[in-house]
Amino acid sequence: MTQQVEQRNLTSALEDYLETIYQLLQEQPIARVRDIAKARDVKAGSVSPALKRLADMGLVKYLRREYVTLTPEGEEQARRVYSRHRVLTRFFESILKMPSEEAERDACAMEHCLSDEGMDRLVRLIEFLGACTSCAPDFLDRFHRCPLMNDDAPPCPDECDSMWGSTISDSGGPMSIFDLTPGDHARVSQVNARGAIRQRLLDMGILPQAKVELERVAPAGEPVWIKLDGTQLALRRQEAEAVLVDMPT
Amino acid sequence: MSQLRLPIPEVTIRTIRVALAGNPNSGKTSIFNSLTGAHQHVGNYPGVTVEKRWGGFTAKGTDFNVQDLPGTYSLTSFSPEERIAQNELLDGGHDVVVVVVDSMSLKRSLVLLAQVMQTGANPVLCLNMSDEAERTGLRLDLGQMRKLLGIPIVQTVGHRGIGVDRLVDAVHAAADSPVRRPRLVLGERMEKAIGAIRGHMEPMHGAAGGRDWVATKLMMGEEEFVQRMQGVEGDWGGAAIEEAQRQRKWIESSTGQDVALFVTERYFGFVDGLLREVVREVPRKDARAVSDAVDKILVHRALGLPIFAALMYLIFWVTFTLGAIPMDWIDAGFGWLGEAITGFWPEGSESPLESLLVDGVIGGVGGVIIFLPNILLLFIGLALLEDTGYMARAAFLMDRIMHRFGLHGKSFVPMMTGFGCSIPGIMATRTLENERDRLTTMLVLPLMSCGARLPIWMLLIPAFFAPVWRAPVLWLIYAFGIALALVLALVLRRSVLKGEDAPFVMELPPYRVPTARAVLMKMGERSWLYLRKAGTIILGISILMWAATAYPSRAEYDVDAQIASGAITLSDEEIENARTAEDLRFSIAGRVGRTIEPLIAPLGFDWKMGTAMIGAFAAKEVFVAQMGIVYAMGETDEESQGLRETLARDYSPLTGVSLMLFLLISSPCMATLAVTRREAGSWRWAWLQFGGLTAVAYLISLVVYQVGSLLI
Repeated sequence: MTQQVEQRNLTSALEDYLETIYQLLQEQPIARVRDIAKARDVKAGSVSPALKRLADMGLVKYLRREYVTLTPEGEEQARRVYSRHRVLTRFFESILKMPSEEAERDACAMEHCLSDEGMDRLVRLIEFLGACTSCAPDFLDRFHRCPLMNDDAPPCPDECDSMWGSTISDSGGPMSIFDLTPGDHARVSQVNARGAIRQRLLDMGILPQAKVELERVAPAGEPVWIKLDGTQLALRRQEAEAVLVDMPT
Repeated sequence: MSQLRLPIPEVTIRTIRVALAGNPNSGKTSIFNSLTGAHQHVGNYPGVTVEKRWGGFTAKGTDFNVQDLPGTYSLTSFSPEERIAQNELLDGGHDVVVVVVDSMSLKRSLVLLAQVMQTGANPVLCLNMSDEAERTGLRLDLGQMRKLLGIPIVQTVGHRGIGVDRLVDAVHAAADSPVRRPRLVLGERMEKAIGAIRGHMEPMHGAAGGRDWVATKLMMGEEEFVQRMQGVEGDWGGAAIEEAQRQRKWIESSTGQDVALFVTERYFGFVDGLLREVVREVPRKDARAVSDAVDKILVHRALGLPIFAALMYLIFWVTFTLGAIPMDWIDAGFGWLGEAITGFWPEGSESPLESLLVDGVIGGVGGVIIFLPNILLLFIGLALLEDTGYMARAAFLMDRIMHRFGLHGKSFVPMMTGFGCSIPGIMATRTLENERDRLTTMLVLPLMSCGARLPIWMLLIPAFFAPVWRAPVLWLIYAFGIALALVLALVLRRSVLKGEDAPFVMELPPYRVPTARAVLMKMGERSWLYLRKAGTIILGISILMWAATAYPSRAEYDVDAQIASGAITLSDEEIENARTAEDLRFSIAGRVGRTIEPLIAPLGFDWKMGTAMIGAFAAKEVFVAQMGIVYAMGETDEESQGLRETLARDYSPLTGVSLMLFLLISSPCMATLAVTRREAGSWRWAWLQFGGLTAVAYLISLVVYQVGSLLI
């Protein structure tokens, strides 16, 4: 287990070096160890062992002492890492609207841990979001203006919220209080509402980790009646569906 | 010579201003009642439906002014109750804030205490229902609790008045020497964030503690506080807002929680920590065992609704059957009073003053007071439903159906009450906490065919329908009223009262045996509101209505001329009736009736009906008497065969249907409008009710009459 983690850390560090070398080589024919250290903000002394390992793996080639370039194999690897980095940076920056410095940092952290498959699909989604103007011309624009994304935006019309609720419970995904049957005990995992409803649920003590029991359901199917911390509360379907729970197995 | 010095008595008139804060169902109102006794006032906060209660008492040579804040679970700006409670705490200038908590649910209710402490108030904690808690085996270390919180703590049993003396002492002492208590510290991150925001708030006036509250609210992005800060002089307000946004981002990114959850968890964390230190013994017995057993039957999936229906039936049966007895006495009493007054004037010398007193004042106000027995009984029934805790169960059972029409489960009982009389129905909407729910219920409530409209149906249905149809038609009128009320409720919620539903997270308090004192106080208070209305606005309008039907009167009558010319011969009674009819036709009401005739003609009505409808505005049942007068029938009631025959002769059944629909839907009576204005907090809603219902009535009657005329 520990070894695996170390292995992965090592790899991500090496991937970063490959990426740096690749970037340097875009501007100059060869990369100097000094420049690599500067770009990565480390001491020159710590660069050499990493370069040595990359050389051992056949990804980097020493031209002279202190001067390196990439092998064709290394270049391919580096290009892969670099394009991931670019895509992720773009994702954080232009789609999720994060400041570029933070976007860069998150991209660095994320690029190493995604599987090729996961990365590939993410890239397709990002391409779709950014490029596919024919399916949904103002798709991205609407996302940026949605209260989910934009704190200053006015609240969504009611249909939006109900759509949320129904997709969550229909998809067989996480369970909500509404999915419990009388006599079930469960633990709150998430309170999935916004604004007044969320605040009221929280104020009543419906917080993550709280234990709830569904005691009964009204004759018409809602509201539901729960027990929580010795008090009893009635929730309508909308409120009950907003509270996601875990059932003890 | 020694100077003569007279001792000057030191008279200090001092008033301590106290606010009571607490959760709904915490027994806050019973504490308020124990403190103030009968010296209390009930009204509304300006412009909203939120009930305002205040009162006073004197103890230890000091005047205490007590304000009962709306019951809330927390202090946010999402509902009018919470906003009012919060603003009162921040700006109300109270010397002491008593936080009343239910000892049986300390965890949730102490969260409110934490928030009150943050506002910088000077709190006294009142652990209410301590007897119940002790019976379950809960033991608290109060000494430790006082030490940790740094505030006075008193145990009480509000509905029996136990511990209230000690509470007064504690409030008195707290007002004299506000304890310098430590600031409420809610964890490292929160401290850091609040500290940073407070750094910009040095110029702010008021208690240092209040800054914590404002800083927290700014961080949570509550509009009201952002506006407060934008309104301050100087640019520190803007800086504080910006800092709060920065801190919010920091908290959200460093904890992965949104700020609402983060802050709420801090409050609960604080309470958890406190309870860990002070709970010596946890409850051994389940306090809810009895309540749960009762609920197994009363909210049973199959039995719940039939039991509810039976309970409602019982209340109405008691109200109208038992109420009928004293109603007869009151009726007889006013009848006697009227005759006694008439007796002052010798036969044949009737004066306008006599008519004013007998027909205007006694007729108008008597017509309202006669319902008092019904109202008293109904309010006892409703108070019992509320105080036992059953009302919340009824709302649980009915909510699905009511909510489909934009109403609330709790709307059901006031609407049922409306079948008796709209006025207590509208007053019973006080059990609805949410403003929009309450207004919607109030506005459509007059469509429940009230008791005063029953005489109209009793007159009109037999006049126009064959015996086999009479019962179904009566049933249809009631059913149509209900259906239209639901439809209009939905329309209101889609238009004027548009907006997101208030969160439906309703607490189901355990069943309690209500105390006679609490039930009687509630009944007395609401009945008094009803009577006061009768004494003021209704009296005024009654006099106006009387004048409109009595003036101007004729000096000479056509009927006299006809008799003199020998054209007709009539008995004395017939002559008298004919004169009255001529007077009414000549009066303002008669003229208005004739003026609006073209307007109501498309509905199938003539001026006689128009005149009678103006009378119906004073009280619905007056319609019957007015019809009797315009037809020169003398004293009539719903049993008058003569009037029925005349109606059947003069009008078609279609006109009858159109007329009944119009009387069912159109403008509620003036007393209802006055109560709506009072309960809704502004004339706007009363006018909307008046205009809206009359317009709908006009439209429906028009369509029915015009389409019907084409078909027949």
